[in-house]
Amino acid sequence: MGRILIVDDTLFMRTLLKNILSSGGHEIVGEAEDGDVGVEKYKELQPDLVTMDVVMPKMNGIEALKAIKSLDANAKVIMCTAVGQEQMVKLAIKSGARGYIVKPFQAPKVLEEIGNVLGA
Amino acid sequence: MTEVPVKIEKDGAWVTSKIDVTESGLTLREPYNKDIPYRSIVDLRQHKTVLLLTATGESKTENHYKIASVEKVLVVLKKRIIMSCNAYRLMAHFMSPAIRGGVLVTDAKWEKGAVAVLKTGIWFVSQDKQVCVPLDEVTSLELTKRELQKKKLDVVKIDFLDENEVVTSFVLCPLSTLQVLYSFLKDATKDKDMKGAELDQLDAQSAQVAMLVYSGMDTHAIENMLNISQTELDAIYETLLKLKLVEVVMIRKEVQLTPKGVRYITEALRPPA
Repeated sequence: MGRILIVDDTLFMRTLLKNILSSGGHEIVGEAEDGDVGVEKYKELQPDLVTMDVVMPKMNGIEALKAIKSLDANAKVIMCTAVGQEQMVKLAIKSGARGYIVKPFQAPKVLEEIGNVLGA
Repeated sequence: MTEVPVKIEKDGAWVTSKIDVTESGLTLREPYNKDIPYRSIVDLRQHKTVLLLTATGESKTENHYKIASVEKVLVVLKKRIIMSCNAYRLMAHFMSPAIRGGVLVTDAKWEKGAVAVLKTGIWFVSQDKQVCVPLDEVTSLELTKRELQKKKLDVVKIDFLDENEVVTSFVLCPLSTLQVLYSFLKDATKDKDMKGAELDQLDAQSAQVAMLVYSGMDTHAIENMLNISQTELDAIYETLLKLKLVEVVMIRKEVQLTPKGVRYITEALRPPA
């Protein structure tokens, strides 16, 4: 089980992820509604894993991912994006993302992916 | 000719038998003792280790056969049937599954093979893989673009339900063929499209509830997340049910203790004398 930080600009998606991850026994150590806040919270909370939305208003998820990876090369970040933005996958993986979740997602597969990344 | 061991069903009973696989068709031995030319086969479905085969007889009537065997044998049968049966077939590249339950399949790759459109489903066939997408289970279709070898190419994106998980697959072939495939699939699955008047019945909160159901949340979790009462959620469920967007899988009971139940609890909690 892991300590997880959720970064997403919509309250609905944060709540949904929080619910799914908590049901899988994970601890949600923090939430952020934008990439820059996510980076700050990463420094402060040192979570085991971050779920990172790609499209956010101030700092997007790819920039935030790069910033987190520059702070901690071993950081485990899973990107989260809407259908139709899968072309971001290559960029995210190249930037160090460990996994990719496409919205809408299903709880069991999300938990499986999180478990795989945490166990890796 | 290849001979494969199978079990064949007739009138509810399974008979241990064999099938001869030839260039022109299959010969089912006991209990049918019948030749089935590939060109007479119009449909093929698979349910776990059972193949459901539909072939037209001499009087154009459809005959159904159930054949069970180990996966190794089924692979041989499926490949021969799909590549030679009476179906719309096209050479294509496909990626299936590319996304499962919203999670990107990291080792997914484009496979060179064929796509065969049969009566109740489409099959992707490559050297190593045979994937069936039943038309009844198709949830979404889109003509879109994917990057392949630094080129943006037109693809058909097919979402379908596989054991309650939403699976996304991609098909890549020349645009004109792709459009034919897309139009065929769109037409074959049009009964699942939302009509304008139906969309009007869905407000933002109903859409949120549908999204949470998709994500696997139960009734209690949805009430908590959206901060709505059971009555409000029931009303939204009714709308979703009316639009055939959901189906009832369980009716839960709310109960209260009877005097006998209260007495039992009181006794159970009494400290030992």
